[in-house]
Amino acid sequence: MHQPDTRPHALRNGGELRSTLADDPDMRELVGQFVESLGKRVTLLESLLLGGETAELRRAAHQLKGAGGGYGFDPISAAAGALERSVDAGASHEELRASMDELASLCRRASV
Amino acid sequence: MSGSAPVTRVLAIDDSEDIHAILRARLEREGLVLESAASGAEGLAAVLADPPALILLDLGLPGMDGFEVLRHLKDNDRTHSIPVIVLSGSDDAKDKVRGLDMGAVDYVCKPFDHYELSARLRVALRTQRLLEMLARRAQIDGLTGLWNREHFDARLADALATSARHGAPLALAYGDLDHFKSVNDTYGHSAGDAVLEGFADILLGELREADVAFRLGGEEFALLLPDTTVEESIAVLERIRASLAGVCWPRHPDRAITCSFGVADRGVGGSWEPSAWMEAADKALYAAKNAGRDRVMIAHGEEIEPAPC
Ligand SMILES: [Mg+2]
Repeated sequence: MHQPDTRPHALRNGGELRSTLADDPDMRELVGQFVESLGKRVTLLESLLLGGETAELRRAAHQLKGAGGGYGFDPISAAAGALERSVDAGASHEELRASMDELASLCRRASV
Repeated sequence: MSGSAPVTRVLAIDDSEDIHAILRARLEREGLVLESAASGAEGLAAVLADPPALILLDLGLPGMDGFEVLRHLKDNDRTHSIPVIVLSGSDDAKDKVRGLDMGAVDYVCKPFDHYELSARLRVALRTQRLLEMLARRAQIDGLTGLWNREHFDARLADALATSARHGAPLALAYGDLDHFKSVNDTYGHSAGDAVLEGFADILLGELREADVAFRLGGEEFALLLPDTTVEESIAVLERIRASLAGVCWPRHPDRAITCSFGVADRGVGGSWEPSAWMEAADKALYAAKNAGRDRVMIAHGEEIEPAPC
């Protein structure tokens, strides 16, 4: 069973973010597809944020929160959850932008 | 499909394709088949079309939310006993309490650990099997294995509805073992029990596929014979009587056991109330007892007459 990631600082240093399920034969293929889809997902989140479509932004962040851990990316779930909570808290655009950047950076570094 | 073990189907109602994909990969390992619905309406339709063994229900759904889906499931007799595990992105205690109080058997947060979810699925399915067994037990007579009076009441209503819908005849027979009390008094209760068990075996052996036998209590039995007129039922009842007459009872080889029957049909095209119907069969049984027992009497409306030989 995988452990929650206890190295948040290591994740901010630009290294690869590897799926904890990379060696799970049941999940390897799905994880690969998920990693490939992340670019598009970030683009969608960005455009929702830019367009001020907060309800849709919240929904997309909520979904990513629910799925990320299932693909072995707990940090992505955590960051998406933070973005969802920012929307719920009525955060300013700057705060949302910071949450988004955190999430986008993790997504870009994700690998199988 | 090899067709050996029955498949256990789990329906996931969730608007995230990721969740469906992850669940499918994970549950296959458990020997479960995952079916997917992307909205509450789609999920409810799928449940009604072919009820799954268990439902994994998201709360945040477009349109009808998960709570509303849960309410629909619990309000419908056909779906209310299907176990539901809420699988939600919300870890708010208020949502957990609400879901569980509305009838969900468990609540798992997303992202979920699949080992934990699988274990919770196993628990829910295990508990469900026990509940179903208990529900069946509560409707089965412990001595004879026949359905009991509780089940008779439920089954009677169903059989009447089906008969009315198809305009088909339906016969109800009451049977009562003759002088049963004296068997108990003379040979002991275990001998009496053996007679009840033996009679139940005869019923199961002589009845046809669609017929249903009940032990109503003591030495009283009921038989529901679908698609059967009173006249047609006589052949069945006489077969049972002949079979019973042929038994040599180990505890009392010199003492044969007989049974009296009263039978009535629903009165095809007539407007008999269930109570009138049951009363007619009861009157016929009473008449059989008064006429000397060991016989079949039939109710034709208000008229009671002996079965033609
Ligand atoms: Mg959802």
